[in-house]
Parts: sequence; C-alpha cells; structure tokens
Amino acid sequence: MSDDVRRWSEELARDPGSRVFLQLGELLRRRGDLPTAQRVALRGLERHAHDAEAHDLLARVYADMGEGERARDEWEMALAIAPAHQGALRGIGFLLFAEDRLEEAEAYLARAAAHPEADEATRAALQRVREATDAARATAGPLAATALTDGRYLFSDVLGDGEHTAVLLDAAGTVLAGEYVLQDGRDVATLVGAELCGVSEEARRAMRHLGLGAWQALVFETEVARMAMAPAAQECVTLVAAHRDTAPGFLRRTLDRAADRAAAWLGGGR
Amino acid sequence: MSTAFRPLLTTLARHRGVVGSMVVGESDGMIVQAALHVGVAGEVVAALAASLYRKARRSSAAAGFGDVGFLTLEAELGRLCVIGRGGLVLIAIADRGVNVGLLRADMLAAVEELA
Repeated sequence: MSDDVRRWSEELARDPGSRVFLQLGELLRRRGDLPTAQRVALRGLERHAHDAEAHDLLARVYADMGEGERARDEWEMALAIAPAHQGALRGIGFLLFAEDRLEEAEAYLARAAAHPEADEATRAALQRVREATDAARATAGPLAATALTDGRYLFSDVLGDGEHTAVLLDAAGTVLAGEYVLQDGRDVATLVGAELCGVSEEARRAMRHLGLGAWQALVFETEVARMAMAPAAQECVTLVAAHRDTAPGFLRRTLDRAADRAAAWLGGGR
Repeated sequence: MSTAFRPLLTTLARHRGVVGSMVVGESDGMIVQAALHVGVAGEVVAALAASLYRKARRSSAAAGFGDVGFLTLEAELGRLCVIGRGGLVLIAIADRGVNVGLLRADMLAAVEELA
C-alpha cells in the first residue's frame, strides 16, 4: 500500500464524511484496482449524493470497467448537478465517439471545448470528431438527399386527412422523414426534433434500470395536442401528434402504422 | 428527508401494480421524496424520467402546444407515469397489472399538491 493510499484511507476512517475519497478513488482507478475504486466511489456517494465530482469519479471507474451505459448514467447525473462539468462532457463525448455516434459526440465535446477551463486535449478531441463527422457526412450525402426528396411525404397515406402529423427523427433529433406543419403553415419539425434529441436512449435506459423490458411507446398530453412516440431502428423515433380530443386508441393505432412505415423505409424491423 | 409528500406517495402506492413513486426536481432530476420497493433503481430512473419530461415540455413549447400534462412511457413489462407542476415531477413506476386510467386520475389530482 502506498503512502497516499494509506494516508487517505486513514483519513476516511477517521472522518467518513471527508471528500478525500475523490483522490483515493482516482488513485486506485489509475492503478487499475477498479473493484476497490468502485467501492470507494460508491461509499463516497452515500454521503455526497449531490457532488458532481463523486459521480464523475464513479463514471470514470465504470468506463474503465467497460460499463459504458453505467458510466453515461453517472456522467449525466454529474451534468444534472453541474451542467458545464468538464469531465462529464468529455466522458460522454468519448463514449459516443466510441459508439460511432459522431454528431452527438461532437455536441458534447463542443460544449466542453467552449468552457474557459477546456484543455488542449479536449480541443484536439473535438477536432478529431469533427473530421470524422465531415467524412461520414460526405459518405452519407446521397442518403440524406433521398430523405429530403422522398421522405417528406412518407406518412401521408398513413395519416389520411385528419388533423394529425408524423415525423421520423434520428438519435440526434434530425428530421429524416415526414413533416410537422402547424395551422399557420409553419413546419416546426426541426424545432421539435431538436428538443427530443436522445429521447429514445433515455427511454431505453430508464426501462433497463427498471427491468421492464424494451420501451414501446411514449405518450404525453399537452394543452392542445396528444403526442406519441415509438422506437425505430438505429435509435430513431417515430413521432405522431394529434389534436387533444383524439381518442387515445386511435392515436396509438396511427402511431403503430406510422412506425411500421418508418421501419420499412429504414430498411429494417422496429 | 422531507415528509411533505408522504400522503401523496402513499395514495399512489395503494394502486395495484405500482412498485414505486417519487417526487423529483424537474431541472436536476434529484429525488425530493420517494417510496420505492426494494431493488428499484430510484436515483437513475428519477434523473431519466425528469429528463424525458423536460424534453416533452420543450418540444411542446417549440410546437406552441402549451404545458405538458400526463406522460407515460410504456414497455413490455410495465410503465413509467410522470406529471409535473411548479418545477417538480411526480413519477409512478408500475408493472403490467396497473390500471392506468385510475392511476392517471389520481396523479392528475395529486399534481395540485406539488405546486
């Protein structure tokens, strides 16, 4: 046992509320003693549940253990407490990059790089992700063009003439197909999609933590509308919106039909 | 921990199929008060449910649809029900045995106590 480990362990034994667990856990993590580092971080969190650094520590331990989803959960908790937390933004950015989710990774790293405390490594990582994103966009050009020309009316016959609309969104909230036109003629699909970025992943993670199986639909009521979403391939979601007076069963039936159409268009099952 | 919402959570816990309920800060996803069966991952689910509710609220605002009311996330073996008011969200976790209509009615009534 090194001097630092002994000293910090003794300090924690004397004062279990001390924040020295952060240094101790980090040292153990760097040495590769991940089970002990995890125990130290979890015990620290028992007394410092609202400490962003404690969640960041546990996230780094999980990341080293190859537990990406658990690491993401902890970093999200850190961001809920400290929205500009550098370690959490960078950590999620790297996780997303490793999963080849380049646009989402870029968004997180850009937030980290914009902070006055951002270091050179963060800026270099952002540059690398941007280069990879540009390369991916160049490859995906023809597909994006097809979505633009053919996808806009993808759900027209599914929706009929009723006062409802449907769009297909990817994981980053980009509109892949459909349209969301209001009575005044404005198409708000892009705005709505941007706000729903990441909803599929959060729904999946919530259900995984609860052991309730795969998520099937997310439905909510607003003052004037009912909105319903269903998962599609590649972390996409199909969104249907209808007037508030629409019967829930009819909305669900329309959602199912729109989701089937989206699945066929994406070239895979739901 | 605060006990202000205990009666409200107790009411929800009486529903058949409800395995947990929480009052959570909408902006930070932190639990204010909870009544959960053993083994339910309250902290993470609270954060994710609050985030989903925020996304729903913002998307509704972007479309000009006004405030969001009852939200439900359905899965193969159960569901998450959420409703918010005054910066707090009330969350109920239920298995397939729940009567969603009755739970929704009680949550709509209970949300008045959040403000």
